Amino acid sequence: MSAAPGRPKQARTAAAGEGTPVSLARPPEEARTAAAGEGTPVNAALIVEEGAMGRVAYARVAPNEDLVHAIEKFCLSAGFKNAFVRGALGSLVDACLVDAHGNQRRVHGPAVEIVSLAGEVRLLDDGSLNAALTGVVADTAGSVHGGLFVAGSNTVCMTLEVTLEEWLPASATSS
Amino acid sequence: MTAHVRTSSSLHFVEPRARVIKHPGPLNAQRIQSRSAAFARHFRLSLGPGTTLADAVIVPLLQIGVRSASMTVLGGQFAELHYCLAPPDPTHQAVIAYTRPRNLGAALMIFGNATLATLPDGKAVVHCHAAVGASDGVHGGHIVPHLSIVGTEPISVLVTAWTGFELSVRFDSETNIPLIQPTPEVLP
Repeated sequence: MSAAPGRPKQARTAAAGEGTPVSLARPPEEARTAAAGEGTPVNAALIVEEGAMGRVAYARVAPNEDLVHAIEKFCLSAGFKNAFVRGALGSLVDACLVDAHGNQRRVHGPAVEIVSLAGEVRLLDDGSLNAALTGVVADTAGSVHGGLFVAGSNTVCMTLEVTLEEWLPASATSS
Repeated sequence: MTAHVRTSSSLHFVEPRARVIKHPGPLNAQRIQSRSAAFARHFRLSLGPGTTLADAVIVPLLQIGVRSASMTVLGGQFAELHYCLAPPDPTHQAVIAYTRPRNLGAALMIFGNATLATLPDGKAVVHCHAAVGASDGVHGGHIVPHLSIVGTEPISVLVTAWTGFELSVRFDSETNIPLIQPTPEVLP
């Protein structure tokens, strides 16, 4: 299933029927694939999309802007419909993270240093941009905390530097 | 109209709500300073053993003409690793003030993000935040690149070098400290 040069194809999984675009929404949790060994439960969405990397962009976000919303607005200003976070560093007033148990945890600052940030921004069907960001932060004692950043609850303290790389999905519905 | 009388905090699902901090200077109307480019130059850099993190980044990149870059430090052992924390500034000249560097000694940089930028005097500077593993546990914070020394093995760094614009350290009147900002490219 090799793509023609310069024109990526829509990716599919073994679980999806021929010609059926793979949904990003909710893949079956314990589907089996032909690639996996017999009896090995794996997520069906091994490859959910094919595409190419596009433009690159850098932003400095000012204090008191929300981390998640700022990255969504950054995409709007850069004209990116979909993007991956390639790196970031900066600080937050406080951090609000969802932990492994689904609980919101607040890390008190200021400042809470952003040590690592990963995630992506996607254009949704309703025309909104949605950034899903996870990362690691350090509190004022240097202890580290990790999780999913809660939108609207992580205001920048001094500055945020973020690097994005545009993602160009082959799927017409996503681009 | 009764509902409008309620405070926003009483309607917020996350308590306490996100704080907005007053900074010493006037609020800058531009909240997101951004630049984009059709492409970037990518390099795989190897940090040389025994050199400071600053020199290991700056010297090879300046030699190939790279003055502005965003980097991912993939992790590796440092012979000496110094970092700072960012508690509130007791003098109130800024919201926070970095502590004096703390020396973790020999430590593992688990991963880090770094930026190469240019100071107002033209010299290069590296800004780095990282998670580090030391004898007393895992820490995170602002790494001090000119004091931290790479261990006996090279450490890989993915470099995204910017084209079409530069990263410069400029005084930011809102926060009252110098900060890295994207600026127009200055051709030699």
